Amino acid sequence: MSITIPPYLQKGDTIGIVAPAGFMPIEKIQTCIETLDGWGYNVQAGVTTHSKSQNYFSGTDEERLSDLQQMLDDRNIKAILCARGGYGVSRIIDGINFKKFMKHPKWIIGFSDITVLHCHIYSNYKIASMHASMAAAFNDGEFNNPYILSLKDALEGKPAHYECAPHAFNKIGEAKAQIVGGNLSLLAHLIGTDSDIKTKNKILFLEDVGEYLYNVDRLLLQLKRSGKLKKLAGLIIGGFTDVKDTERPFGKSVYDIIYEQLAGYKYPICFGFPVSHEKENFALKIGARYKLSVADNVSVLQEI
Amino acid sequence: MDRKHFLGTATTVIAGTTFPFKKSFDIGADEEFVFKKPPYLKNGDSIGITAPAGFITQEEIQPALQVMQNWGYKIQLGDTIGKRDFTFGGTDEERLNDLQKMLDDPKLKAIMCARGGYGSIRIVDRINWARFKLNPKWVIGFSDITVLHSHIHNNFQVASIHSKMTNSFPFDWNTAEPIQIETIISISDALSGKKMKYSAVPNPASKQGVAEGILVGGNLKTIESLSGSASDIKTDGKILFVEDTGEYLYSIDRMFWNLRRTGKLKNLKALIVGGFKVKPDDPGEEFGKTLEEIVLEKINDFKFPVCFDFPVGHQKNNFALKCGVKHRLLVTEKEVTLTEII
Repeated sequence: MSITIPPYLQKGDTIGIVAPAGFMPIEKIQTCIETLDGWGYNVQAGVTTHSKSQNYFSGTDEERLSDLQQMLDDRNIKAILCARGGYGVSRIIDGINFKKFMKHPKWIIGFSDITVLHCHIYSNYKIASMHASMAAAFNDGEFNNPYILSLKDALEGKPAHYECAPHAFNKIGEAKAQIVGGNLSLLAHLIGTDSDIKTKNKILFLEDVGEYLYNVDRLLLQLKRSGKLKKLAGLIIGGFTDVKDTERPFGKSVYDIIYEQLAGYKYPICFGFPVSHEKENFALKIGARYKLSVADNVSVLQEI
Repeated sequence: MDRKHFLGTATTVIAGTTFPFKKSFDIGADEEFVFKKPPYLKNGDSIGITAPAGFITQEEIQPALQVMQNWGYKIQLGDTIGKRDFTFGGTDEERLNDLQKMLDDPKLKAIMCARGGYGSIRIVDRINWARFKLNPKWVIGFSDITVLHSHIHNNFQVASIHSKMTNSFPFDWNTAEPIQIETIISISDALSGKKMKYSAVPNPASKQGVAEGILVGGNLKTIESLSGSASDIKTDGKILFVEDTGEYLYSIDRMFWNLRRTGKLKNLKALIVGGFKVKPDDPGEEFGKTLEEIVLEKINDFKFPVCFDFPVGHQKNNFALKCGVKHRLLVTEKEVTLTEII
């Protein structure tokens, strides 16, 4: 399946920032704006980044939808960076009009709840999008770390070459395929909907945060039982951080749980890849082709 | 359209032609879902108790054991009762074997799951249903047991009982609250084949109307986790009930979007919202919508009745419901009733 890669960014291009899900005060987006500015881009902060909302969301559904819609439709805007995830894209996704976006694709940047947008766009419009850090990751002096810089490189069109340390649970091998994936809970939540992704012959990556151990087990079983794991080209397990346990302990670590669920699959599997809710979060272009090489001494994910 | 009349004339021309309205007849046609009812229980029949998910001690099931024996049933305790593998009532193999034995044993007329928790989904694909299909029996439970209900409904069209489990029987029948006793007795009523009738306290947010259909449902989170799998719930033309506990409002909202976006709401006959023990929002993260608002905005373009506060869920007023059995739901300003019909 061929995929459209939106144009990479040139100096002087404009990046829009929206908050399509949870609320975020503009102060927390400031470093991100300054950094993008420093990279040579103009930044246009949408109304949802200045929201007066008193509840969970960065505005009503209508406000969030219209802010995102405007950014999608505005041809001056070459990329849209989502300020944060949280929860909320599922509430507006079916209201978005992708007509102009399809004609003039642009990069959509974010992760976590933004997985809904990525999957929806990939499944329905075959347009690549960017799974990468959002505004909060720029704060606390982190705006220059390799993970933030991987976003800079990705936007400029520099092919990615990421390495990660070997892990005892890895399955050695090599795969060349399109990459898809994101937040495990959301990938499961989308199963059976219009935004569901097909994973056959793809490299799939997964990450999650704050889930109960039993629920990680259940989510993986859902992927498995809906046929999403059996014909992968390769699998990348990112960070599963801040996991929670029940009063009656589950008795396994989160990677043990995942490893156990993957027994029997022959494709290469890379554990501990830097894609996560922590700062270790390399930019990945969903829909783009990568080579995953899992070897004894190192795992490499390289854009091809 | 006068459907009867249309069908009458259609049969004469249908051969060799395409039937342009077929689709509209598929939707909501109850006749297509023929659910088998396992035989109801008689005095002296045997009920098995097994733990397909979380663990339970011998001591914890004593009240259920006593009460069900008093009802005139023999109780057969599975090997998993009193077993523990961390959070589970034994390893996957132990839980699977115990349940399998009970499904296969022709002497057992019903299987009560000891408790929920988590774990049924880890074994459901390895269960051999061949004998159960030939000789269906009542599978009883809720919460995590929604996996078994939905799997059985979807694959074998066999009715089952959504109800409290052994861990909800009051330790002392004499000091138990009336609602505890009533709900436990509803299990006996369901098992012995009494026609069920329930009423709920009217909630002004409910959408009035009347509907008839086969009742299916269960724990909302569990239903979402079955989406796309062989155990996925089929809701077209049915009355769907959902309940959940310990979830944030945002998570409940997301789950109702999942129901909507997977097409599980659009062809319902009715929606029954049971108990939702909502986890309070974290400070500064107030969701800003009530449960009722969350539900109603997902179904405002549909006409079917909706009732809130139905007595089903992780709560004391959790009555036994026969899933896979036809019911009539009536929602008016003054009363809400759910009645089993033939």
